[in-house]
Amino acid sequence: MRYAVRHTTTYTYDDLVTDSLGVAHLVPRSLPWQDVASYDVQVTPAAGDLEADVDYYGNHVTYFQVTEPHATLVVEGAGEIEVVAPVVPDDARATPWEQLRPLVATGSSVAAPPEAVDFALASALVDHAADAVEYAAASLAPGRAVGEAVGELMHRIHADFDYDRTATTVTSTVKDTMERRAGVCQDFAHLMLACLRAHGLAARYVSGYLATEPPPGKERVVGADASHAWVEVWLGGTTWLALDPTNDQEAGDRYVVVAWGRDYGDVPPLKGVIFTDARRSTMQVSVDVAPLG
Amino acid sequence: MTVLREYAAGLTQPTLDSGTAGATARYDEVVGPDGGLRASWKGLAELAVSITPDDLRRVGDEIARALEDDGVTYTRPGERAGPWRLDPVPVVIDAAQWAPLEIGLAQRAELLNAVLADLYGEQRLLADGVLPAAAVLGHPGFLRVVARPSAVDPRPLVLAATDLGRDERGEWRVLADRAQAPSGLGYAMENRRVISRVQPELYREAGLHRMEPFFSALRSALLQSAPGDLADPRVVVLSPGSQSETSYDQAFIASALGFPLVQGSDLVVRDGWVQMRVFGRLERVDVILRRVDAAWSDPLELRGDSRLGVAGLVEAVRRGRVRVVNGLGAGVLENPALLPYLPAVCEALLGEPLRLPSVSTWWCGEPDGLEHVLDHLDTLQVRRIDGPAVDLSGLRRQHLVPMLLAEPHRFVGQQRLPLSQSPTWESGTAVPRPLTLRAFTLRYGSAYRPLVGGLASIVEDGVSIASKDVWVLKAEPDAPDQGLSDVLPMTNTRATTATVPRILEDMFWFGRYAERAEDLLRLVLAAHALAEDFRNRPRSTGAAGLDVVMGALSRLAGPSPLDGADAAAGLDAEFRSILVDPARTGSAAHAFDGLRGALNGVRDQLSLDVWRSLGAIDRATATVGITARSHLVAESAGRMLTGVLSLQGVTASMIRDPGWHMIAVGRYLERALQVCHLLAATTTLRRGMDVDREVLNAVLVAAESAVTHRRRYRGSVRPGGVLELLVADASNPRSLAFSLEQVAEHLAALPASTGSSRPERLVADLRAELGETEIATLVAIGGETRPNLEEFLAQQLGQLQRVSDAVAELHLTTGPAPRPLADLALVDSLEATP
Repeated sequence: MRYAVRHTTTYTYDDLVTDSLGVAHLVPRSLPWQDVASYDVQVTPAAGDLEADVDYYGNHVTYFQVTEPHATLVVEGAGEIEVVAPVVPDDARATPWEQLRPLVATGSSVAAPPEAVDFALASALVDHAADAVEYAAASLAPGRAVGEAVGELMHRIHADFDYDRTATTVTSTVKDTMERRAGVCQDFAHLMLACLRAHGLAARYVSGYLATEPPPGKERVVGADASHAWVEVWLGGTTWLALDPTNDQEAGDRYVVVAWGRDYGDVPPLKGVIFTDARRSTMQVSVDVAPLG
Repeated sequence: MTVLREYAAGLTQPTLDSGTAGATARYDEVVGPDGGLRASWKGLAELAVSITPDDLRRVGDEIARALEDDGVTYTRPGERAGPWRLDPVPVVIDAAQWAPLEIGLAQRAELLNAVLADLYGEQRLLADGVLPAAAVLGHPGFLRVVARPSAVDPRPLVLAATDLGRDERGEWRVLADRAQAPSGLGYAMENRRVISRVQPELYREAGLHRMEPFFSALRSALLQSAPGDLADPRVVVLSPGSQSETSYDQAFIASALGFPLVQGSDLVVRDGWVQMRVFGRLERVDVILRRVDAAWSDPLELRGDSRLGVAGLVEAVRRGRVRVVNGLGAGVLENPALLPYLPAVCEALLGEPLRLPSVSTWWCGEPDGLEHVLDHLDTLQVRRIDGPAVDLSGLRRQHLVPMLLAEPHRFVGQQRLPLSQSPTWESGTAVPRPLTLRAFTLRYGSAYRPLVGGLASIVEDGVSIASKDVWVLKAEPDAPDQGLSDVLPMTNTRATTATVPRILEDMFWFGRYAERAEDLLRLVLAAHALAEDFRNRPRSTGAAGLDVVMGALSRLAGPSPLDGADAAAGLDAEFRSILVDPARTGSAAHAFDGLRGALNGVRDQLSLDVWRSLGAIDRATATVGITARSHLVAESAGRMLTGVLSLQGVTASMIRDPGWHMIAVGRYLERALQVCHLLAATTTLRRGMDVDREVLNAVLVAAESAVTHRRRYRGSVRPGGVLELLVADASNPRSLAFSLEQVAEHLAALPASTGSSRPERLVADLRAELGETEIATLVAIGGETRPNLEEFLAQQLGQLQRVSDAVAELHLTTGPAPRPLADLALVDSLEATP
């Protein structure tokens, strides 16, 4: 599938901002199954300084600074991306999950590259809350094939947790999500990461978009035309399995990968620091993922 | 019996409890196993052995006094700054003992630099399994924002610190590596300065390496760290502020090196360059000697809640437009989990064996390491790899073991090194106390050079309780200091000048608080004199006058916090409160706190004499005592006043830079405010001729104008004469007219002044109004009061406050503080509009 993606963030302040510095993770990754035909990030007022770079995880990252006084800041990313469904070999799915624990050295373990070790460690927003550990244990039976085990975990999260914007705040933790049994895609991704990592598996947070064209009569896919988040589980070597607990499905050709990291904190679409006496700001975001056929 | 003989005898004589089973004998720094002095002390034997307890007591007192005079402090977390402690007996290491340590330290710094380059570059050490990835990637010191292909720091480690201890055989072992923002060089230098002053004979005799050339080398290493090929790079020392643990150390380094001490708010990033606000202009900064931990140094890409950093700093570093020393990622080296792997890493990166062994350490992320630690919980100390060096082995087994098993890669077990002991002066005698040594190693030219010397700490239960100077003796008397014969002395060090708004702000408050304290103390002394005469004659006119003056005091010092019981203690309790109660806003103690705070922020700008004056003030404060006694009040206030006046004297010999002018603006603005308050509290109400005369006399004394008045008016004290002298007479340095003239003059000398800036216009208006005011009109009577005077003083006070605000707005602000763009950037809070 080919998509035209446009992601626009508008900040409006009640007083002038004299200086805005920002870091954006907006430019999608180029991947074997994803081709970024074109992509451009624009800042208004024009950024006197705008620099593209590649971060530690290989994500595209844009740094900018606006020093023209402004009461409105617009950051827009737009481009065309071609995606095919990533293929995960069956034998990789069949590996017993215990062999895929990078921090646990046992005779039968698959040797883990540093990247896998990194994603097996706890991170700032993914702590190993005790009840998440217990919750996940039900799916991770001894010797079970990893594909089956993590797939079931995804089904259970989808079934046991409600999608509810009101149940979540910026400071929501895995523990909060476990207690409220509700959240949004970011919370479910963090929860699933905690479940997997607490048992030794390596898994990463993926930030991106999910395109939806709801066929008549079918259930609406939650998260449509918005920033979305899901997870990828390490299956050994360089193979990762992408799972979306919010929609209970594997990520296919309707998923545009922007960036991955240990958790949301590594790859927020936009973060920044402003110098202002303004007291209030409003943020408007519009995301459009249009299929081009 | 001399101190060292007694000490040696105590060590060799078997005592009753020396048979403690299994206790390992410590290596003694001074006395060998045969009871004689060690080789390093032999050259000093004659002098050292003759030192008596009285000598050492005298030296100990002199040290405490010298450190207080220099204002040397160390702040333990959550406490007020406390005095720095220095033991009179140095650690002495001879050249033969030092040589292998020096080679080992140099190799270690070379190795750690190579480790940094690898971890932030290719990561061969992780890919090849030489270092376990979980030990590195699980440590918060590993900063992914600088681990990018685009960011290459060729020499991330410029100044390393190494904490060392000796084992029972006297071999040095590394306890920990400090690479983030090593502290202690300033303390080491101060220790040397004090010890050489109080132990001059010993110091001269020893033939030890002086430290100055190392500072020159550090200075030139920092200048050479500048990116590109700059003729005159700008280096700054970035401090977390005067509240930080080692702020003394930071200020010392800055002023010894001649580089400005700045805080995050003094710097901004523009177009990827770090810039410093200098009088409203921006000037480029090329090298930052960082004393702020990396995590706090950029709110944009690191901790967003940090107020100590510079937004955009990480980007400037990645682009190679500023060099941060040490590199932002250097904190990863402080990870104790690296220690067991260093021998292999050294072979892999340098192709040679590691010379300086570390204390035996087991990383629990390795199954063998975990097993060893679990089997030896009774003897090892257990630490988190990423937390403060707290020994967790005191925890109960049932808490500790599950912690280790749940996340083994976050823990290490470490051997408890016995450490060496050294005679330490404690309550009249020298007792053996364990010590650690902090060594410093500098990248100078193409090689790493350790400081020949260091900072020793006396430790008790793992906490440093005092420091010792470290003397490394020369092999030959004429060997060059620090082995550095090629270093140029720092003759061309520029004095740092007050440049950034924050420094000017501290200078302004220095001026204001010093003047406030001075004026208050003068009034206390005047009131006290009146009290001495009239406190026992309650119905006299003098007693009525005393009431008025006490009212003026409480107008300036704030209402008395004393409750009924204390108030019964009378005037002296009130005087005492006005002098020493720091909680009373307006007390002398409160002004001194403010003064100290301002001075701490600009320590690198000021002469050490400032701290001597503050020391005198502290000692004067201590003489007041817990219970107020009349003569102690007067004595203490008098000595405090002497201290404040000597502080004013220090400013007289300062360079006439903007900082100096700002002190004067603050000082004279405060004087104008004080004189108006004093007059408003004493002269606007009429209380009868006799009472008024007592009051006016006290006012003249407090305003230091009694002599002039007597000369001019021959003892006839009338409101008109007093107001003439204190309001209108521009030749009287205590008058409002004089103060305003001074404010105008010093304001005009500030770089941001234009001649028509708002503060200047406001002061000009005030002076014009004053010029048009007739004293005869002011003293005019309206019933019980003098309404014109009341109105005039109220107007002046209001206008002076506006001047102060305008000065702050024009000269002292750095603009709005940075804050996060939006804390609400949750991805799913985004509105979808297809």
